[in-house]
Amino acid sequence: MDPLSQLSFILWGVPTTLAISILSFLSGLALGIPLAFIRVYMGKPFQVMVDLYEKILRGVPEIVMMLLLYFGVGLALGLKPFDEAFFAVTFALGLRSGANQSQIFRGAIRGVGESQMIAARSLGLPTSQAIIHVMIPQTFIIATPGLGSEYALLIKDSAYAFILGVLETMKRTDILRMTTFDTVFPYFASAFIYILLTFPLATYLDMWGSRKRKELGL
Amino acid sequence: MADTVMECRNLWKIYEKITAVKDVSLEIKEGEIKLLFGPSGSGKSTLARCLALLTTPTKGDVFHRGECLTRPGVNLNKARARIGFVFQHIWLFHHLTALGNVELGLRRVLKLPKKEARERATKALREVKMEEWANHYPAQLSGGQQQRVGIARALAMDPYIIILDEPTSALDPELIGEVTDTLRALAKKGTTMFIISHEMQFAREVADEMIFFNQGMIVEEGPPERFFTKPSSDRAKRFMERLIKRTTKE
Ligand SMILES: Nc1ncnc2c1ncn2[C@@H]1O[C@H](COP(=O)(O)OP(=O)(O)O)[C@@H](O)[C@H]1O
Ligand SMILES: [Mg+2]
Repeated sequence: MDPLSQLSFILWGVPTTLAISILSFLSGLALGIPLAFIRVYMGKPFQVMVDLYEKILRGVPEIVMMLLLYFGVGLALGLKPFDEAFFAVTFALGLRSGANQSQIFRGAIRGVGESQMIAARSLGLPTSQAIIHVMIPQTFIIATPGLGSEYALLIKDSAYAFILGVLETMKRTDILRMTTFDTVFPYFASAFIYILLTFPLATYLDMWGSRKRKELGL
Repeated sequence: MADTVMECRNLWKIYEKITAVKDVSLEIKEGEIKLLFGPSGSGKSTLARCLALLTTPTKGDVFHRGECLTRPGVNLNKARARIGFVFQHIWLFHHLTALGNVELGLRRVLKLPKKEARERATKALREVKMEEWANHYPAQLSGGQQQRVGIARALAMDPYIIILDEPTSALDPELIGEVTDTLRALAKKGTTMFIISHEMQFAREVADEMIFFNQGMIVEEGPPERFFTKPSSDRAKRFMERLIKRTTKE
């Protein structure tokens, strides 16, 4: 196979890599934002629960979570859709990302500051409305660089899916190695693709977030 | 006789280690302007926040227009919507334009339709002479302009009283005038206000009554002229002298 067709063979895995990363990122967002606000604004028992969740999901290797979800929950317990490797991987990464994003947003909430909440309350906004209209938009701006790194991390960690046979970028790289007996080019090609997937977007988000923050005096 | 708009009786606020407000009672009537002043750390902000229902007093009651709002079960959000509050450090919403800042409460608290909220917000900005700056973000405005937007944000909600916690003390000296001028205009229109300020010239002009506050307590209260001519307490006298010396030096 010429290098170009090798490259294109690997590239066919990119949509799956993106699907795993984006879906797990969104699940992480859906988990992380509420967890962060619960951690900051609700009582002690909730704080302890959120902390515990974060500690566990950040402490356990992601591959352990994936195998547990796939073999333990999906195959042994027969719980759908975790009997499919794609979903087991995505969900495991989503849970871990929820823990990371909870920390990112918690830092951002601190960055926005309690004063914005007091100002919102002085207008008669209930806490929930103040969170939605005053805190969340500003937390997103502060969180953007961190969210960019989190996204890059998920792109990279989606490569673990190859162990469970999901046909994504890494798996296709591996197939290429086995069929061509070339142990160098496929990995370079793959590395190049991963850098293209992570670096530009993460850098852009980092710059955008920092600029916006400066512009708004946040 | 005018109605009492806001009142507190035997108000206490005790933090873990500090008693910030000690047994304070005061009353503001409709159209009246009371001006509170006193040393830093004496509990002025704490008192203002208790009166605005932004913190819960430890003891004592706060009444607004005859209704006790320190009882359990009171809808505080509903009450806060009609109490204007202007902060020392301004605290505009960074992510919203001047207009957005003023509109937020109108849209989300009073639930006005878009068009009506826009009209009312624009009117409030016009009142503080900030209409031209409606589409600027707080970071693009000077401190004085920001504080005028802060006043418009409170004003737009049609408050029956505005509480201002040192509205000019975070501003550069040359920007104070535009804010005090805005407040003078409100005073002329008969707006009921509780103002914490150390702008003595301004105080003398607008206040119906001045209150000297120290260590969480009202030390002396009376018409401004009395403070400027012969304050009865020594502490107030010395404090006034220092303030006046400071302002004439500048
Ligand atoms: N949230 C709080 N928790 C604990 N102590 C506070 C808090 N807010 C104010 N204090 C304390 O209460 C006292 C009065 O503060 P404050 O009301 O801000 O005074 P002022 O506005 O007159 O400067 C100060 O000693 C201050 O440190
Ligand atoms: Mg203060």
